[in-house]
Amino acid sequence: MTEEPYRWLEAIGNRREYIRDQLKGGTPVFAISRPEGILLLGVGQGQSKVFEIYDRHGLAALGHPVDIEKLRQAAIEAAHLEGFNRSARDVTLRRLISFSLSSLLKNAFEQVFAPPIIVESIFAEMGDSPGQDTLVRVHFDGDHQYSGAGVVVAHRETSVETEASEWIAKNLAPTDSLQRVATVCLVAWQTLNDSKRFQDLAAPSDKPAQIPGKVIEAALLDRKRTGSVHYRALDLK
Amino acid sequence: MTGDFLALLQKNSFPALGGEGRNPLPLEATTVFAFHCAEGVIIGGDHRATAGNMIFSDRTEKILELDSHSLMAIAGVPAMAFEMARTLQTAFEFYRRSQLQTMSLAAKVRALSKLLRDNLPATLQGIGAVAPVFAGVESGDTVAKPVIYFYDPLGAHFEAAAYAASGSGSTTIKSVLHYLQTWGHPRPDEMPLNQAVVLANRLLMTAAEFDSATGGVHAEQQEFATIKLLSAQGIRTISTQEQAGFWKDGHS
Repeated sequence: MTEEPYRWLEAIGNRREYIRDQLKGGTPVFAISRPEGILLLGVGQGQSKVFEIYDRHGLAALGHPVDIEKLRQAAIEAAHLEGFNRSARDVTLRRLISFSLSSLLKNAFEQVFAPPIIVESIFAEMGDSPGQDTLVRVHFDGDHQYSGAGVVVAHRETSVETEASEWIAKNLAPTDSLQRVATVCLVAWQTLNDSKRFQDLAAPSDKPAQIPGKVIEAALLDRKRTGSVHYRALDLK
Repeated sequence: MTGDFLALLQKNSFPALGGEGRNPLPLEATTVFAFHCAEGVIIGGDHRATAGNMIFSDRTEKILELDSHSLMAIAGVPAMAFEMARTLQTAFEFYRRSQLQTMSLAAKVRALSKLLRDNLPATLQGIGAVAPVFAGVESGDTVAKPVIYFYDPLGAHFEAAAYAASGSGSTTIKSVLHYLQTWGHPRPDEMPLNQAVVLANRLLMTAAEFDSATGGVHAEQQEFATIKLLSAQGIRTISTQEQAGFWKDGHS
């Protein structure tokens, strides 16, 4: 089938469509650079959306649980090998994503006879100050975009991610507590999940948002934490 | 044509490293110990590394944190010991992150055993023996009691009832701790932190009296041992300032 170029293109097109269809059940995840560190947030079943990767690195993802696990393991292995062979400071997202993870995703996507990796993700790297933070939005086909401090949203409908991240940024002040940041994210989560628009959405109240029947998974790459490990899970009940 | 310069030297019978077939004196790190006190486990050590009768360094850190709930005190060849500690640090964190749970204390104890067993060839050659003391506590269990293990250079591990010591000054330290644990008032395992820290420094001062490879404590120059406290809450480093305060209170 794939001997002819147009058939290969058609197969890739079908594969993209198939993956997007598989991602329809996924719910959004968020990464927000704050003065305290980087907040990662998702809503799932507990240890299913937000993960620690290395000393200053975290991951938030949506997609097939098995594929999230595959990507997570690959990231952890690459980071630890690099940290052991060189040093913890040599583990950077730029190298992890560019030389290891994006090629893994691209290969999995383009090998049309092998199962794809159905994951949309955000990788975060905490710097010494918010200006040195790195957030990377990584797509299922290996494509990725870097951004510094700010808000990054990953959702099944990539077209509304910018709108959502702008709305979150607009409703946050640098002095807001992490609880307030989480509340704003959860309002955005509900809006994205209900496929509503942000243009008429009012600013969220100070009352902590809840998602009934779901677990709010949140973690902070804590800038102030001493020692090598900066990741800590947050209990936002 | 491998581009390996060291292999080229060997091929041409150059005495490249090691000098005239004589093995250099291995570097050694002594003395370390651990004992139970009322608040957990005190683990301490001096700062000296020696090569034969030469003092190589008096700034060596021998009490190494493997993760938030386990420590390794090294005695023996630092090159091997530091590498073992680095391997274990990465292995414990890798396990925790990849498996989404912490490694059990028993598995950590065995992981060090395995590294010592793997180091057997260097141990038998007399250039890489390591005899560590390990202290750990089960993480996530707020009432867990910390435990002390000591190892032989082949990897056998033994749980210490009250104390363990390793390195060239260990005989003196074990003698003193045995005496105090049997006839002391209070016994070391009943001592509060301030008393236990003073005892730890005195142990090293006593060992240094009889063993040139043990670096002493010089309180008047604010030079104290490396001392850490392990409890169910994790590891706490007792700073030089804190030790100086305890020392002053204990001798006033």
